[in-house]
Amino acid sequence: ENISDFSLNITDCTQVVVPEEVFFTVAAAGILENLLILIAVVRNKNLHLPMYFFICSLAISDMLGSLYKTLENIFIILCKMGYLTRHGDFEKKLDDAMDSMFILSLLGSIFSLLAIAADRYITIFYALRYHNIMTLRRALFILAIIWAFCAGSSIAIALFSYEAATVIPFTILFPLMMFFILCLYVHMFLLARSHAKKIASLPSSTVHHRTNMRGAITLTIFLGVFLCCWAPFVLHILLARFCPHNPYCACYMSIFHVNGTLIMCNAIINPMIFAFRSPELRSTFKKMFYCSR
Amino acid sequence: MSALRLISNRTSQQALSNSDYTWDYEYYEYGPVSFEGLKAHKYSIVIGFWVGLAVFVIFMFFVLTLLTKTGAPHQDNAELSEKRFHMNSFVADFGRPLESERVFSKQMAEESQSLFHFCINEVDHMNKEKESQKGPSLESNTHFQEVPKSSGMFEEDLHCLTKFNIPNFVNTEQNSSLGEDDLLISEPPIIL
Repeated sequence: ENISDFSLNITDCTQVVVPEEVFFTVAAAGILENLLILIAVVRNKNLHLPMYFFICSLAISDMLGSLYKTLENIFIILCKMGYLTRHGDFEKKLDDAMDSMFILSLLGSIFSLLAIAADRYITIFYALRYHNIMTLRRALFILAIIWAFCAGSSIAIALFSYEAATVIPFTILFPLMMFFILCLYVHMFLLARSHAKKIASLPSSTVHHRTNMRGAITLTIFLGVFLCCWAPFVLHILLARFCPHNPYCACYMSIFHVNGTLIMCNAIINPMIFAFRSPELRSTFKKMFYCSR
Repeated sequence: MSALRLISNRTSQQALSNSDYTWDYEYYEYGPVSFEGLKAHKYSIVIGFWVGLAVFVIFMFFVLTLLTKTGAPHQDNAELSEKRFHMNSFVADFGRPLESERVFSKQMAEESQSLFHFCINEVDHMNKEKESQKGPSLESNTHFQEVPKSSGMFEEDLHCLTKFNIPNFVNTEQNSSLGEDDLLISEPPIIL
């Protein structure tokens, strides 16, 4: 007859548990992949360009996200086995630190994607002056500012995460950035489309319509992946803040582990759609693996 | 924010501390939630959210593909200015490898630049002929003179275009960011 925190009604939404093997495999794959990208960019001098630095920044934030999830799971297991207490001070501080690492990862991802989109935008629309606008130094400076801002806000959000004043800006930032990135890419896309039309109007050209389709598919994949991987978690935060006692909200919050796994899947997919599309990076990987044999 | 509850399968006879391992904050507790009298399905938010997300992504995709089909590029005047812009970007793409790519020798770049200037002149010439063909009937005299010339230029123009279709050269670092089969950057610089 003990009353636990959840009512033991059969119609309860119990926590959907992701098997730990799946969890750790996904996390390890994400960390390894992004680490490989970092190593490749550092080792190959040809890749010391602003564009690749932004991709590295994305890789770092993905790695942080996967790392966070791994550490959290390890601590849960340690708690289960009794090595850590539930409400100790040390655990709370650790939890705070890990929360801020996670928010740092989310903000870092968003701003890195924004930086990559802006870099491509400048490449297309300010092509003549690109080298003057986006020097290596400026790129590093921009990255430093982005990460300083993300670190500051992540610590602030983690400390005051129960205030509505932090949850709301956090959840507004997410769709705002997505919308901005979408606008940048759509503008680039429109230019590319008119270009393709011009090429098609030349006599005996061989441009197919499928290349326009491919642009649409690529763009949809870019943004769709990010949305599908992060939006569930952002919604979770919103619901946890505003309606934790509502049964519908509670049912949504019961799939928290699945949302976390989705975030780690994003860490695996991001390198494929950003970094591995570059032939130079791929050839660097091949060299790395063949040399190590 | 990281409140997680691992609920074991043990029955309620056991003590709370054994059946309920928590890692939580006080403010983030799930209080007793009653599931009585739900009008809709209990996972309705989950289902609604994912369906909404899928619909949004598909809608975005259709909007993007529609963008490829509707709307025609502006004729004549805008074409001229656009062409100038594209030529400029072409120049920039050629200019960039000289700085950032150390694998390409200067000779190759200079040769390609001279080829490029040749092609620009040819394409410029051809476009001028095209425009004059579309021009008013006052220029019909010159029109008849220039038509045979332009037909002879087609092969040269094609040859010129294929000369520029050197994948390794034009697919520089900047262009390769989106992949060789991606429309956004790699296509425009290759073919003028």
